[in-house]
Amino acid sequence: MSKPSVGIFGLTGCAGDQLVILNCEDQLLDIANALNIRDFLMASSDNGAGCDLDLALVEGAVLTKRDEAALKRIRERSKLLMALGTCAVWGGVAAMDRDADRPKLLGDIYGGLGAGYDSLPARALREVVQVDLNITGCPIEKEQFLSAVANLLNGDPPLLPSYPVCAECKMRENNCLLIEKSGLCCGPLTVAGCDARCPGLGVPCVGCRGPADDANVASAMAMFQGKSVPREKIAAKLRTFAPMPGDRS
Amino acid sequence: MTTRITVEHLARVEGHGGITVELDGGRAAAVRFDIFEGARLLEGLVRGRCAEDISQILSRICAICSVSHSLTSLKATELAFEVQVSPQTDLLRDLLYRGETIQSHALHLFCLAAPDYLGYPSAIALAADHPDAVRLGLRLKKLGNSMQEAIGGRAVHPVNAVLGGFGRLPSEDQLIALRTGLLQAMGDCQTTIDLLASLPAADFCRSETVFAAMRSPGDYGYYLGDEVVVLSNGTRETIQAAGYRSLTGERAVPHSHAKHSMFNGKPFMVGALARVMSNPEGLTPRAAEAMRKLGLTLPSGNPMDNNKAQAVELVHDVEYSLGIVERLLREGLAQERPAAVRPRAGAGTAITEAPRGLLIHSYTYDDEGKIAAADVITPTALNAASIENHLRLAVDQSQDQDVPALRKKLEMIARAYDPCISCSVHVIQKLHAT
Repeated sequence: MSKPSVGIFGLTGCAGDQLVILNCEDQLLDIANALNIRDFLMASSDNGAGCDLDLALVEGAVLTKRDEAALKRIRERSKLLMALGTCAVWGGVAAMDRDADRPKLLGDIYGGLGAGYDSLPARALREVVQVDLNITGCPIEKEQFLSAVANLLNGDPPLLPSYPVCAECKMRENNCLLIEKSGLCCGPLTVAGCDARCPGLGVPCVGCRGPADDANVASAMAMFQGKSVPREKIAAKLRTFAPMPGDRS
Repeated sequence: MTTRITVEHLARVEGHGGITVELDGGRAAAVRFDIFEGARLLEGLVRGRCAEDISQILSRICAICSVSHSLTSLKATELAFEVQVSPQTDLLRDLLYRGETIQSHALHLFCLAAPDYLGYPSAIALAADHPDAVRLGLRLKKLGNSMQEAIGGRAVHPVNAVLGGFGRLPSEDQLIALRTGLLQAMGDCQTTIDLLASLPAADFCRSETVFAAMRSPGDYGYYLGDEVVVLSNGTRETIQAAGYRSLTGERAVPHSHAKHSMFNGKPFMVGALARVMSNPEGLTPRAAEAMRKLGLTLPSGNPMDNNKAQAVELVHDVEYSLGIVERLLREGLAQERPAAVRPRAGAGTAITEAPRGLLIHSYTYDDEGKIAAADVITPTALNAASIENHLRLAVDQSQDQDVPALRKKLEMIARAYDPCISCSVHVIQKLHAT
């Protein structure tokens, strides 16, 4: 069987998900051997010049017309397109307030020149093209990425959790920060897959992986409000990395 | 006749950028280091947010430098609220910085820069012929990541560093594992230096470079400090962190329709070479020996020496980190909680040394302890004028006007700065939009 041809791409973001791939130090050379990596601009100056791809891995959000055109071109070239990381899956931190007055912000930060920029409100990949697989996380978790690649190489769909961080937190037998501390922990609404990384360190979950399909939203919101945290603070916190359930149709 | 050299999309760097040079009669008529990165407007979007949210949001400016962004953010907020952290917190933050620097330098030297010297497109291609060299680099890179995981809680975007201290302190087992890794890395560093010393020389331009780096108050480090040293023609000038705007004062440059960071009208370089230049006596004996083996002599006028300086820092940081870890194992960690933080009105400007150079976070908080203004100045933004200066000099000083050969030199110079373009987007976008 010939090796699947793969492209690894970044739109606007921090390059953290591509860095996680490069951080697979023990597996990197094996991955490179199992796949035919044709595009990986961050790591190689020899790229595929528009060849067809079996799989495209795309990180970052769509923030410019240039991003949008690049993503559409990648989609045309690829049989499967996998969104990698919270920015690609949900829009990420750049999408925390899509209703913000963008021309004003551009002016505040870039001065009078800001008006001329190629700058759009941040969008997730699936708002622009069809996306076949979503691996979330800010950044993605190495183990989840590696097992997804192994699944795909065997012709299986990757198994991804739909339950919230709280489930993993309980499995680790951590003390519940929502019970023990006064602040917010986004664990009840955030999708698992990180092994409750932050609560495991005694640090509240900030929701960097985006919402869980199986979360009990009404119950979580009632609990947060019971902690007498102002509603707008709850909403701002929950929308830092991804929309709240019901924000986008 | 005008010839145009373009690098449409610079590979093996973080982020999206390119180079355009217009040649006229063998001289560079116009030089541009372009940025195509989208503007995420994070400094604007954090306005109104609580202090506890800021470091997590602004670390997302850049993954490779996420420890630097997180800790510089925490330092700025702690300055604004007059929070005093414990000496143990400072020591662990120092160690976390060194983990980031080891990861970043190993990634840059082995995966991004080395392929150029040996004529390969990537570290993966290099591994086909030189597997041991690539595995050596990956081992050092992994060590840096394991330091970031043990102390920061994650290799990218640390979660364990919080206002006032840490969520959970590393366990003794984690410290023992780090000691084992660092001891192995002492040997790996020597091999690295021998390997890099055997690479072909890279010398494409010379200049009387101005350097800027944080003044490290104790030993050679990245985190503690509140003054910038500027080295120019044998003189040393000191700037307080709060007065950082005198360093980032912008000036219109007609040739590139751009405004650039200048110091007294001159571009300046930040990063490993600037740090080594400003504090060579702070290096460990092994690092000083590595400098000799690599033939790095000071003052340096060759920007490619930044690669050598990163290798010197790799040796220094491994040896220095081993000392810290051994001390922590000997003395034990006090099980302290993060220092108390009371949000209120205030302003704080923090400087540190990210792997790529000087990083500044400057915040103003309102009466409710929410961010009223945030300003972030990154190393690549500070370096932009210097990169263009060295690209120009490389063209002007080149004997050979062969376009592919020149293009490769230009790429290697830009890469030697280890530019982090996601980071730089704020200031540089300001530059090329006129």
